[in-house]
Amino acid sequence: MTKIVVNGQQREVKASPDTPLLYVLRNELGVMGVKFGCGLAQCGACSVLLGDEEVRACVTPVAAVEGKPVTTVDGLPARWAEKKGLAPDPQRLHPVQQAWVDEQVPQCGICQFGMMIKVTELLEANPKPTDADIREALTSSGPSPHLCRCGSYAAILEGAHRAAKLMAEGGAA
Amino acid sequence: MSATLDFHGARLSRRAFIGTGGALAVAVSLPVKSAAAAAPASLDAATPASWIELKADGTVTIRTGKCDFGQSSVNTAYRQIVAEELCVPLSAMTTVITGDTDRTPDGGGTFWLLGYVQNLRKVAAYMREAALELAAGKLGVDRKALSVKDGVISGGGKAISYADLVKGQDLKLTIPVEGELTSPMGLTVKGEPPMKPVSEYTIIGKPSANPMTRPKVSGEAVWVGDVKLPGMLHARAIHPATLGSKLVKAGKLDGAQFPGARLVTIGNLLAVVSPDEWEAVQAAQAVAAETRWSDWQGLPGHEGLADHLRSKADWTTFPSRNGAANKGEPEKVPAAREHKASYFLPYHKHAPISPMVTLADYRPDGSVTLHTLSQNPQHLRHMIAKMLSVGEDKVVVRTYPGSGHYGRSNGGSAGSEDEAVLLSRELGRPVRVQWMRADEMQWTTQSSCALADIAIKLDKDGRIAGYAAEHRVPPMQDDRLVGAILAGLPVIDSPAPVTKDLFQNGVNEMQDIWVYANVPAVREKAMSTWQIGEKESPIAVGLRDHSMRTPIQFQQNFPRELAMSEAAMLAGKDALQFRLDHVTEPRFKAIIEKLRAESGWDSRPSPAPGARASGQGVVKGRGMSIMLRDNGYWACAAHVAVTPETGEVKVERMTMVADVGIVINPLQLRRQIQAGCLMGVSQALHEEVSFDQSAITAADWASYPILTMAEAPEIKVVFETNLAAGNYGQGSESANALAGPAIAAAVLDATGKPVRRLPLRPEYVKEALA
Repeated sequence: MTKIVVNGQQREVKASPDTPLLYVLRNELGVMGVKFGCGLAQCGACSVLLGDEEVRACVTPVAAVEGKPVTTVDGLPARWAEKKGLAPDPQRLHPVQQAWVDEQVPQCGICQFGMMIKVTELLEANPKPTDADIREALTSSGPSPHLCRCGSYAAILEGAHRAAKLMAEGGAA
Repeated sequence: MSATLDFHGARLSRRAFIGTGGALAVAVSLPVKSAAAAAPASLDAATPASWIELKADGTVTIRTGKCDFGQSSVNTAYRQIVAEELCVPLSAMTTVITGDTDRTPDGGGTFWLLGYVQNLRKVAAYMREAALELAAGKLGVDRKALSVKDGVISGGGKAISYADLVKGQDLKLTIPVEGELTSPMGLTVKGEPPMKPVSEYTIIGKPSANPMTRPKVSGEAVWVGDVKLPGMLHARAIHPATLGSKLVKAGKLDGAQFPGARLVTIGNLLAVVSPDEWEAVQAAQAVAAETRWSDWQGLPGHEGLADHLRSKADWTTFPSRNGAANKGEPEKVPAAREHKASYFLPYHKHAPISPMVTLADYRPDGSVTLHTLSQNPQHLRHMIAKMLSVGEDKVVVRTYPGSGHYGRSNGGSAGSEDEAVLLSRELGRPVRVQWMRADEMQWTTQSSCALADIAIKLDKDGRIAGYAAEHRVPPMQDDRLVGAILAGLPVIDSPAPVTKDLFQNGVNEMQDIWVYANVPAVREKAMSTWQIGEKESPIAVGLRDHSMRTPIQFQQNFPRELAMSEAAMLAGKDALQFRLDHVTEPRFKAIIEKLRAESGWDSRPSPAPGARASGQGVVKGRGMSIMLRDNGYWACAAHVAVTPETGEVKVERMTMVADVGIVINPLQLRRQIQAGCLMGVSQALHEEVSFDQSAITAADWASYPILTMAEAPEIKVVFETNLAAGNYGQGSESANALAGPAIAAAVLDATGKPVRRLPLRPEYVKEALA
């Protein structure tokens, strides 16, 4: 039995310790805001935050995340509420998610789970990123570039800047 | 009112008064023959379901067999168009049901969406007219005195809302429809109901957010891969070693190591299933490593592809097609100078970020439900029924949001659907087939490769005297179910010159509409051949092709537009002015002039001052391209930096100018154009499907790289609505195709040397500059 923390909750996992976190989250724990892309850590669709660091759930054995909290896109609103000491509100999104809605960032959207995780990692460390910072974060800071096949990169850039603004203002309205 | 009322070819009837609720529903009236053929497990033609429901609470539900894979039109433009025609506020359009064969009426594919939307638009117009007729009777006011605004009909000092009009009644409007529900094109609404004049539009043309965005980014949306059923098994397919291999001996499944797993063999289709997904993945890898397949070598290899297209492929069996604008005899026109060259495009992959996945539930009574993603669910249903040799009434296809795949499933199948059905039938349990990255790259279709020969003759003044082009492209559409092929079960015809299966006709048309009307002599010819390797493959697979975004037009426009830039250089003319000199259509002239202003185009002949094809450091250039598609006029400029020593091309900025006619939703159109353009930049810089004599060797993102965020150029998008054009244009498709020829022309400008192929990878650029 592996004990892990996912989106603020203690969970006990029956899957064998070598099982990639991706399959544990989706199949055993019902946490669906993490998507299968390549299984090779080449695309970033399955990104989650491990503590404050973006990792690829498709190649991370569940045993490797014991002791550090896991955050998926599903858990971003609670992560923000906790950081800001806000009362729970099911309508409130994390500023990065809200920016993605405001700017209508996604085309098909399958890559955006990882994109939002990576931008959250960036903005928590660097609240006022430049275009170059955002491009660098989504291209060369992790195991591979975060890939978008639809070509939403221009929208992502606008979304990331808007998210930074929302975070600086204290969050989404 | 009387029991029935006939108008504009439609029939309105009141079946009964009902206690609460109430609705005006639009039913489908099918000719008897089609009604019998149209399968009952869909919407029972005898109990017609709705395209559009006006409900007693004032809300409206629309149903369409089309789906959304990211361009959002069915959730944004469709709502706006129906709201506009019905004259209700956009906020009343609460529900859009898409793509489920048992819950939508029309069928057809998810392409040409703003053409197909004429169905719903007509239904809405019929419905508005029906409501006006009803209101005239109810209010005792002459129909001609009535009008509708915001869902309220008023006139003669009286008023009634749609909601009150339908309250407590069960009204049926029957409209004329033709076509076959499960054919690739589905049903078409007939008749000519009066349409709202464009000048009265208040909803079309306004920015409107996609209601699907929030549930997607919050994580609440149920994606295709998220669907689960009790007792479900996870499956991984083990596909043949080559595109022509048969199974010799399946590897042994180690029951001690993988106690929950089971190996299934159906002909050449091999799969491992397990209740535990990770066990299925590992067991499939272990079995695959031990499985033996027959050898096969029937492909030219990607390095030999251009030669194969030139000298080995059969271009005579498929009839060629002449361009619609052909005139004169360009080969006989005298020339002061001539530009003559060949152009090559490799295969491209659709390359969705997430590989295909389907959950199928085959039941003991022989019926099956597929939970999948498809741009043509009704035709998928047809093909699954054919594979199983059962009636279409036994098959239901439910669709969900999934990874964009840009046309690959617009004939029904993108991969995995048939395999899930066959495994579920074999095992008597719901089976979820998730393709891995390598299955997705190696066992799917590709966008056709192309070889073109272009000859442009210039007169003594540097104007085009004659234009001749021959386009050699394998067929664009193979919708056969590949799992069914492997299992040896019935499939539709493979692409051929003659077929009863509509979309499998492999004859290519001139899809790239001729736009240079001032050219006196034009001869364009589109040629086709068998899919490469298919006839040689003992399992009839080989390199299957499928439309992607601007199918065939992409393949024809790249050589035409790059050749135009080269001809301009030969003529000593500015590439933009050269195009202006040869178009006559005012809409083209306007956008080309706008491109000049918006892109900061420096009007001068190519090559650029300081251009060079060797040496260190960076040289810069700009190029352009134009296209006419679906009555939408497009112009694109690319600004690039080239390092001749390394062959590296950096795209610095792109400018897209469009006149698409009536813009439905400027917010979504801007995003579509940006994204489509960046996908085009990706294809231009990186993409080529590598393959050897046996198999596709591009198996992951390392071997099939696409554009990264760091490489994404700055993009400027410029468009205005053009109400006078009177039609709805298209979004991201054209933007996607325009990037390649504009970027290649910019490389020409920067270096003075043409690179007459994509992708503009350093090794190919270096070779061309040498």
